Amino acid sequence: MGRYAIRRLLQLIPVLLGTTFLINYMVWQLPGDPFAARCGQRACPDSYISAMRAQFGLDQPMLVQYWHFLKNLLSGDLGVNFNQVSVASQLADAWPITIRLGLMAVAIEAIIGIAAGVLSGLKRGGFIDNVITISTLFMLSLPIFVTGFILQWLLGVQLQWINPTVSDAATVGELLIPAFVLASLNLAFTARLTRTSIVENRRSDYVRTAISKGMTNRRVVGVHLLRNSLIPALTFLGTEIGSLMSGAIVTEGIFNIHGIGGLLFTAINNHDFTIVVPVASLLVLVYLLANLLVDLLYGVLDPRIRYE
Amino acid sequence: MSEPTATQDLIQGTPEPSAAAVPNSSGKPRSLWYDTWDILKRRKIFWISFVMLIVFLVMAAFPTLFTHKDPEWATLARSMEGPSEDAWFGFDLQGRDVFARTIYGARTSIIVGVLATLGTVVLGGIAGVIAAYQGKWLDSLLSRVGEMFLGVPYVLGAVIILGSVAPVQSNPGKTMIMTVVIIVLAVLGWPVLMRIARSSIIQAKHQDYVQAARALGAGPFRIIFKHLLPNSLAPILVYSTITIGSYIGAEATLSLLGIGLRTPVISWGIAIADHTRYIRTGAHAMFFPAAFLSLCVLTFVMLGEAVRDALDPKLR
Repeated sequence: MGRYAIRRLLQLIPVLLGTTFLINYMVWQLPGDPFAARCGQRACPDSYISAMRAQFGLDQPMLVQYWHFLKNLLSGDLGVNFNQVSVASQLADAWPITIRLGLMAVAIEAIIGIAAGVLSGLKRGGFIDNVITISTLFMLSLPIFVTGFILQWLLGVQLQWINPTVSDAATVGELLIPAFVLASLNLAFTARLTRTSIVENRRSDYVRTAISKGMTNRRVVGVHLLRNSLIPALTFLGTEIGSLMSGAIVTEGIFNIHGIGGLLFTAINNHDFTIVVPVASLLVLVYLLANLLVDLLYGVLDPRIRYE
Repeated sequence: MSEPTATQDLIQGTPEPSAAAVPNSSGKPRSLWYDTWDILKRRKIFWISFVMLIVFLVMAAFPTLFTHKDPEWATLARSMEGPSEDAWFGFDLQGRDVFARTIYGARTSIIVGVLATLGTVVLGGIAGVIAAYQGKWLDSLLSRVGEMFLGVPYVLGAVIILGSVAPVQSNPGKTMIMTVVIIVLAVLGWPVLMRIARSSIIQAKHQDYVQAARALGAGPFRIIFKHLLPNSLAPILVYSTITIGSYIGAEATLSLLGIGLRTPVISWGIAIADHTRYIRTGAHAMFFPAAFLSLCVLTFVMLGEAVRDALDPKLR
C-alpha cells in the first residue's frame, strides 16, 4: 500500500508538469495582448508595455518563462499581479471560503445522495424509488446556474428567508443554500449510482449467503451490501471534485461569494493572468490528489482489491 | 422507471421477468439493436422525450412556425413589461419579445450542442482507436494527455481558452464565436469519449473473431471499422446523447459568464445573463429562457437514459 501510494505520487509529477505547461501556454501564448486594455480609452504607452513585459518575463521564450514559473512555484513565491498586489495574499483571503463551500457541497452530496440512492435501491420500483428517480432526473437537467437563480429568487427575493447575496464573512449558515446549489448536479448522480449498485449487488451471492446465515436485515444491508455498493459513488465523488470547482466559479458569481471563483473571474475580465495560472494549477493539484485518495480508499472498502 | 414492480425476494434472488421476453417466433437470432428497439417502444419515457426532441428540432429548424414576431425588434417603451395577452412571455430589458427570442434561441443551443458533441466523438473516437489498437507507448501517452485535459475543470479551461481567444471586451462575429465555443467544448470533452472507445476496443481486441479476421488477412482499417468499432457504438451513442444535453447547459453557462456567445447571437444563456441584475423586477425575462433551456437538456438526458436502460442487459 505504501509503495503503491508512492508510485502513484511519482506518476502525478509528469501529469502535473504537463497540465501546468498547458495552462501556461494557453494563457500566455495564445493571441491577444494582456496589456492592451489596461489604460482605459487610450492606448497604453510603449514604455509601460515594455516595462510590464520585462517584469513578467513575456519578452523571454516560452520554455524559459515556464522554467521561471516552476522555480518560483517551488520556492513558494507566487509573485504579484498586474496591479502589483501580492498574489499569495489574495489567494489566502479567497481559499478558505471556497474550501468551506466545497466541503459543504461534498458533504451534502455524500449524505443526501447516498441516503436517497440506498432508499430507492432497496425499494426498487416502489413509490419512493419513483419519486427519487424522477426528481434526480430533473436535477440532472437543471444547469447549476438555473438552480441557483431559482433558489435565489424564491428564497431570497420572494420568501425573504435568506439574504440573496452572501456577506464577506461567508458563515456556514449563509453558505448552506449556495453549497446545496453547487452540490445539486452531483447529488443526483451520486443517488443514481448508489441506486444502481445497490440493485445489482442485492442479487449477488454474498448477500444471499449473508441472509441464509441468518443475519438480520440491518446487518446485511448496513455492512455487507452498503460497503460494496459505495465504491462507484465514492469514485464519482472523488473524480468530480474538479467539476465542483467549475460549479464554484458559477455559484460564487450568482451569490456574490468572494472566493476563488470570484477572484478568477475578475482576473479573467481584467486580463490579469498572474492569478489565473496559480489558481488553475492549484485546482488541478486538488483534483489529482482527490483521485489518488479515492484509489487508496478502494482497498479499505473492498478487501479483494490489492495493491501490488 | 416502468419496470415490473415485483418486489425482489432476497433469498431466492429470482431474476426479474424480462421486459424483452417476447416469444421469438421466427427463430432468427435477434440483434442487439432489434432487442433495444423492442424494449424502447414500450417505454413511456422514451416516447415523451422523443416527442419533446421533435418539438425542439422543429423549433430550431422553423422558428417562424411558432412565432411571427421579429426577435430583434425592440420597443424600449415596453422594457421589462410582464407577460400579457399579445406577448405571452413579456418583454426583456430592451423591449424585445421574450417569446420570440426564446423560440429563436433553440437553434443556437441545438447547433452548438450537436456540433460540439460531434467534435468530441470524432476527436475522442480517433484517439481511443489509436490508443487501444496501437497500444504500448502511444496508449500511455494518449491516456496521460487525456488525464491532463480532465484535470482542468471545464469552466476553468473554457475561461482560459476563451479569455485568450475571444476576450470579454472583444466583439467577434456570430459564426466566429459559435465556432470557437464549439471547438472549446470538444477540445475539453474528448478524453471521456476516448476512454469509452478505448476500453470497449481493448476488450474486443483479443476475441477469437478478431484473430480470425486477422488470420484471413484483413487490414487494420477493416478490423477497426468492421469488427472493433461496432462494439463501442452502443456506449458512445448513449454517452453522446446525454452529452448533447450537458453541452447545451455548458454553452449557457459560458454565455452567462460573459465569455461564451455574445449579443448578436440569440441564445438562452445570453438572455439569462442579460437579466441577472434585474432578478427583482424582471424575473420573467430570465425565467422563460431558463425553463426552455432546462427542458431541452432534460429531453436529451431522458432520451439517453431511456436508450441506455434498454441497451443494458443487466437491467433487463
